[in-house]
Amino acid sequence: MPTMSGVVTIAQESRFQLTDEKGVSHLFLLSPHALAEDDDLEPLQREQARVRVTYEPARNILGYRARRIERI
Amino acid sequence: MDNVFHMHPRAAEHHQSSLDRVIPNESELTAGVRIEPGKSYGFFTDTTVCIGCKACEVACKEWNNLPADNLGLSGQSFDNTGALSANTWRHVAFVEKSGAGGVRAQEQQPFQSGWLMMSDVCKHCHHAPCMEACPTGALFKTEFDTVVVQQDICNGCGYCVPACPFGVVEVSKLDGKAHKCTLCYDRLKGGLEPACAKSCPTDSIQFGEVSDLQGRARRRVADLHARGVPQAYLYGTPGAPGATGGMSHLNAFFLLIDRPEVYNLPSAPSRPSRRVAPSLFSGLAAVAGLTLAAALLFSDAERRA
Amino acid sequence: MSVPYPVASRGPEDAPARPGSASERNMPAPGHDGSWDGPTYYGRPALKPAPFEAEVVGGYIFLAGLSGASALIATVADVTMGERAAGAVRRGRYTALLAPTIGSALLVYDLHTPERFFNMFRVAKATSPMSIGTWILVGFSGCAALTAAAQYASDRGAAPRTARAAARAASLPAAVLGAGLSTYTAALLAATSTPLWAAAPRALAVRFGASAVACGAAALWLGERDGGLARRLETLAAAALAVDLAGDAVSAIAYRRKGVAPAMAGPAGTLEKVVGTGLGAALPLALYAASRLAGRRPPALGTLAALAILVGGAAFRTSIIRAGATSAERPDVSFRFMQPDNLPD
Repeated sequence: MPTMSGVVTIAQESRFQLTDEKGVSHLFLLSPHALAEDDDLEPLQREQARVRVTYEPARNILGYRARRIERI
Repeated sequence: MDNVFHMHPRAAEHHQSSLDRVIPNESELTAGVRIEPGKSYGFFTDTTVCIGCKACEVACKEWNNLPADNLGLSGQSFDNTGALSANTWRHVAFVEKSGAGGVRAQEQQPFQSGWLMMSDVCKHCHHAPCMEACPTGALFKTEFDTVVVQQDICNGCGYCVPACPFGVVEVSKLDGKAHKCTLCYDRLKGGLEPACAKSCPTDSIQFGEVSDLQGRARRRVADLHARGVPQAYLYGTPGAPGATGGMSHLNAFFLLIDRPEVYNLPSAPSRPSRRVAPSLFSGLAAVAGLTLAAALLFSDAERRA
Repeated sequence: MSVPYPVASRGPEDAPARPGSASERNMPAPGHDGSWDGPTYYGRPALKPAPFEAEVVGGYIFLAGLSGASALIATVADVTMGERAAGAVRRGRYTALLAPTIGSALLVYDLHTPERFFNMFRVAKATSPMSIGTWILVGFSGCAALTAAAQYASDRGAAPRTARAAARAASLPAAVLGAGLSTYTAALLAATSTPLWAAAPRALAVRFGASAVACGAAALWLGERDGGLARRLETLAAAALAVDLAGDAVSAIAYRRKGVAPAMAGPAGTLEKVVGTGLGAALPLALYAASRLAGRRPPALGTLAALAILVGGAAFRTSIIRAGATSAERPDVSFRFMQPDNLPD
């Protein structure tokens, strides 16, 4: 699965925005099989944590489905 | 309601355009209401002043970080959003009456004759069918009398979806949870007016306490009737269409000037939980009767043996 | 810099149906089949269909009915006939394990976040048939498992008297909960805003309950060697099928009167009529009547009738789920259903 790293800039429920090194923002939705839960996103956003997201593409929406989030 | 612009006295305290903090009780400045737990809040959507700008849709997606979906053109007037869904919590409906049947009308009435626009949203029903159906308690009534799905509890059973008589709730196939408008629960807790109402440039979407809004809406209907729009009516206030069948009232209600179906709203929805007892007890009665028949049949067999 | 977004050229997935233009020409022909002849919004659905997989949820409803009714009939046979019905009682007690095992697995599979299935046990709500059903299933599973375990112990000769008493003690609550398990599924469908399910709450529940008893009797008939008991199981199945057919007639009237009948016109409705009612109820009834009149009972015909009841029962549930989705997706059906004249008193 592809990965992307960047900073968690917005967290809302199970959705979060990741701003990558080039300054482009990407929207992710947590997969139901993701290891992270909604409650894990808010601290990441507060700390503006740098993370690596393993994701799968989603069709018909401008966003991706996140399977795994790791701090880096 | 009155056409004179009043500036809130507190607004003068915030003359700079960029702020380094959230204004306390900002909703007093933007919506004229202080948000306090224990009171009932909702939307009054006056469709007669909607201009179809979709600022509410955009504001909602921006604040709630919802993904854009279904890119493309629908061919259905300016409605390329389609419907409320897991990713869309405000939906502006466009009804082109003068284009109906492919023939453009040659004459138009002076008011709202050719175009109807309505910003649709979750109705935050007083007796919310989705909440009554939810088997996990993920759907709950907040301290602001709004209905919210707790994302950390929802297990995606999807039973709230057929429960909703307005087709609002949807389970996202991407994250496996039910989603719908939260009436900006997080903003209300911070004293902010919901994003859609704040962004509405014509005040078609008004946020406030439900009883205040209902009074304001009734005055608006009386005003429209006086001005020669006799077809104006409310949808979702007590006793009105939309608040039928035990629904009591809808916290997010509408002022419409055509049949509810024109706006994709049902005329007379009913509260599904009222059908639980009749169904359950009829089924049990049928099985009880057949059990009795079985007992008679089997004991007869035993007697003859 | 290229943005790796799936842009419109990739084509939409599961996008809503889009009639071609703003004109009304793509709308369903108004009122051609008793449905709503007023305006709709570009023919778009006004309701959302339940995100259930018809085979999975329909399969669960079938297994719940079969298990609940098997436990119930086994208990009645045990109480009234005792040792003479031992075979049927044993099979009934084991058949009752279908809902706790395969049925529960189907339910968890149908969740969109199956990892959180245990959140079902957070609350008990009288307004939610799904919550009521969760607790009925939990209680039934416990009692049915105890009954089956005690039955197994007595079959293997381990403390037979104690085991038999324990099996009977646990089978009584299992029978009561079994009655609930075989009928709550009708309330589950009826207590929604999906027009077809909500149109006839009582008749649907009677049909689900009667069909479950017929399925239970048919399942116990298969493998029954005692001719007297087998004949009585046939009579019980026939009585249940008659109730089912009566419920079918009543619900058909309600569907027409409330304007949801067009939802039964599609493939799902045809399956319900041909396989659910025709094969599952009318054919076995005819077979039973014919063998009764002829005075001969070829076992092959009995087996055919029993299998037809089981297949028809499963098809009936699945097609009701499917036709319900159709009724929610058709605005002419849902708007007709949600008119003031259809409001409950």
